[in-house]
Amino acid sequence: MVDQTTEPYDAVVVGSGAGGAMAAYVLTKAGASVLMLEAGRDYSPDEAPMLNLSRDAPLRGTGTPDKPFGFYDAIVDGGWEVPDEPYSKAEGSDFMWFRSRMLGGRTNHWGRNSFRMGPYDFKPYTRDGLGVDWPISYEDISPWYDRTERIVGVYGANLGLENHPDSGPGVLQPPPAMRVWELFLKAGGDALGVPVVPARRAILTRKIDEREACYWASPCGRGCAIGAAFQTTTSLIPWAKATGKLTVQTGAMVYEVMLDASGKASGVRYIDKATGAHREARGRVVILAASTGETARILLNSQPNGRSEGLANSSGQLGRNLMDTVGSNISAYFPALEGRPVYNEDGAMGLHAYIPFWLYREQAAGRLDFPRGYHVEIGGGFREPGLGGYGDLDGYGSDLRRAVRGRYGAQIGLTQRGEMIPNEKSFCTIDPDLKDRHGIPVLKFSFGWSEHELKQVAHFQSAMRDLVDRLGGTILGDVPSPDKAISVGGEIIHEVGTARMGAKASASVVDGFNRTWDVDNLYLTDGSVFASKAHKNPTLTIMALAMRSADHIADRLRMGEL
Amino acid sequence: MKHTLIRRLPIVDRRTTLRWLFAGLAAGQLAACGELGGEFSWSPPEALTGKGYGTDPDLLDPKTPWPLTLTAAELKTVGALVDLILPADGDWPSASAAGVPLFIDEWVSAPYPSQQEQRGLILPGLAWLDNEARKGGEPSFAEASPEVRRGILDRVAFKDRIPPELETAGRFFSRMRALTIGAYYTTAEGWKEIGYPGNRPASGPYEGPSSEAMSHLRSAVEAMGLTLVSG
Ligand SMILES: Cc1cc2nc3c(=O)[nH]c(=O)nc-3n(C[C@H](O)[C@H](O)[C@H](O)COP(=O)(O)OP(=O)(O)OC[C@H]3O[C@@H](n4cnc5c(N)ncnc54)[C@H](O)[C@@H]3O)c2cc1C
Ligand code: SF4
Repeated sequence: MVDQTTEPYDAVVVGSGAGGAMAAYVLTKAGASVLMLEAGRDYSPDEAPMLNLSRDAPLRGTGTPDKPFGFYDAIVDGGWEVPDEPYSKAEGSDFMWFRSRMLGGRTNHWGRNSFRMGPYDFKPYTRDGLGVDWPISYEDISPWYDRTERIVGVYGANLGLENHPDSGPGVLQPPPAMRVWELFLKAGGDALGVPVVPARRAILTRKIDEREACYWASPCGRGCAIGAAFQTTTSLIPWAKATGKLTVQTGAMVYEVMLDASGKASGVRYIDKATGAHREARGRVVILAASTGETARILLNSQPNGRSEGLANSSGQLGRNLMDTVGSNISAYFPALEGRPVYNEDGAMGLHAYIPFWLYREQAAGRLDFPRGYHVEIGGGFREPGLGGYGDLDGYGSDLRRAVRGRYGAQIGLTQRGEMIPNEKSFCTIDPDLKDRHGIPVLKFSFGWSEHELKQVAHFQSAMRDLVDRLGGTILGDVPSPDKAISVGGEIIHEVGTARMGAKASASVVDGFNRTWDVDNLYLTDGSVFASKAHKNPTLTIMALAMRSADHIADRLRMGEL
Repeated sequence: MKHTLIRRLPIVDRRTTLRWLFAGLAAGQLAACGELGGEFSWSPPEALTGKGYGTDPDLLDPKTPWPLTLTAAELKTVGALVDLILPADGDWPSASAAGVPLFIDEWVSAPYPSQQEQRGLILPGLAWLDNEARKGGEPSFAEASPEVRRGILDRVAFKDRIPPELETAGRFFSRMRALTIGAYYTTAEGWKEIGYPGNRPASGPYEGPSSEAMSHLRSAVEAMGLTLVSG
């Protein structure tokens, strides 16, 4: 039985995370009526336990399979596994898929690290002959980066660094002061030519609109009820609702796109999770932003006239080119930081400073054995003590107590975030056998790194060893070989690329405006459209592309094209 | 980023699991040969199953739904052990006074794979402590003289000095040490001792390092022949 949901809307948007909320916001502001379908439950930022104490939570707040990033983390019905929604992996291949099922998606707890992609990042093939170019250039997208950063609120500094573009005048919020351990690392970096510079994060350091400035407490992953850390549930979604043009339907699990007789998208079919009823929602435009994996799944499962390759897949690229960020870690202990005076180092909790990729010249000159860049995210300081990280201590008694005290604030974690080049081994398809609780066929992932990524890890390891050495530090634990040190595919939660953007219909799924080549009124506004996975964390770019695409859709709606 | 560090925690590391299983087996075999004396064995108890707090608990009113499972005798052993790990010291209370044994009970009783794996090491480990104490003529570890207790710990607490046949016991101790430190320094007393100023909101721009913290940093950096440029 299929129920129909009311009138056709101007647009049906699937997903309420970064990409979906941005599209809905821009379209409702432009006067379009939008139905947003979200598989998860409704969520209010007032649920965020910002100032609650870890010690009052089960296991002192430590992560468990129910809540992988800790009891208080702002995730609902998600994590590395979602109840009743399995996925599978091809034999011999590992992939981790992190999902959430709540209004606002993963924006409720993301790290807010927000780095712009630069000119090289949009034309990687031109630069080194690997992967593919995007159909758009940095100059094409740059105005939308400015607008996105202005709306979102991003702290950072314009530093004029190669391939790390500056923002427009007045766009950025002032970055918070660097903390002692960050300045310490900077002193070492300065001596070695490794830049340690202010980071960029989607966090307000000055109040704008109804959102408050950061108050320098409460881990951002718990959600930020005061609106300082960007999440769609304190900003884009309420603003879109305020136009009176947005209808939000939660608990709505979309499983296919419907086409009309002319081959245009007429809407989507979904399961109302509360009742199990199958429903249809109609719109002049259909926008999928269910996240990189889910968007591919919906399209692969949409099989008009029994076409088993799925919808919008005339290129055969749908589900292919799956990428994640390259990740690895080194953690070190610095005697020089021992016993330093304590002050409040919580700050904005995450990065105030980071190490951007600094070797583009050397790379272009052929002096490096790996083709693409990485940056280093750094963590340390007088943080809230947790349950982990004491494995290397020795002995017991009062000496141990002294060691713990001395150690506090003297450890720094260095985390690689690097570019992956799309490869043949990495893709997702529909599992021919497995279905979820709703009866929807699930994704099967295949994933593999190439030597490019492994060599990049090796470079990171040796560069960080030099930095640690220069600062008199000791690396904690063993440094495994790159093939063991590298993250599992998907583990960094920057999965992108399953419906890539391109200049030609024959080799890509969407055009430069996120519109599918095969269906003129079907758009994808999440990470699925990425043609490459720069080392920069993807969400800011997802939002800038979604905004640009939604502007384009709004123009077409106004002109009566849709 | 903090989340990336936490991220690896709950993942059961295949290599670690295998190592544990293997080591457990080897020690079990040793025990069977009578080398450890008594009836002690490292074979893990059956893992607890049951419900965790689920994927959508009330975050503003946290509840621990699983029952505690340590026996009174086991809690006594835990108390004696954690107080050797972190004894009272000046102003600072001992681990048991700070409530660490209760936390250990909550931990090993939690129905999650990682905690259950640790339970499989910790419960036999507590029995091992008693067994060792009995070999020294004492009724139990908790009732043993301080010298006997220390004598037992001295064989397993220092990484470079653990004899091969005590490898599993060494891992048990190392796990208990890490849990004890974690449990202790997450309490109010622990925060105070270590100086964590707490999850306390402030208004205005972030203050950044105190002048005292900056002069300390400056001398540290200059001592290494480096220059400090403020951020
Ligand atoms: C802990 C963590 C830290 C991170 N840190 C950073 C960071 O610092 N910087 C960065 O750039 N990125 C970061 N990310 C990644 C970032 O969260 C994602 O890139 C971003 O949220 C992707 O946006 P999205 O709109 O594609 O997907 P999501 O935010 O996941 O939203 C998708 C929404 O669609 C819904 N949905 C899925 N399937 C369906 C369906 N079939 N029908 C209806 N609705 C559906 C989901 O329930 C979800 O709400 C982090 C992620 C995590 C988990
Ligand atoms: S650190 Fe600042 S931005 Fe992050 S949650 Fe706390 S108040 Fe919000």
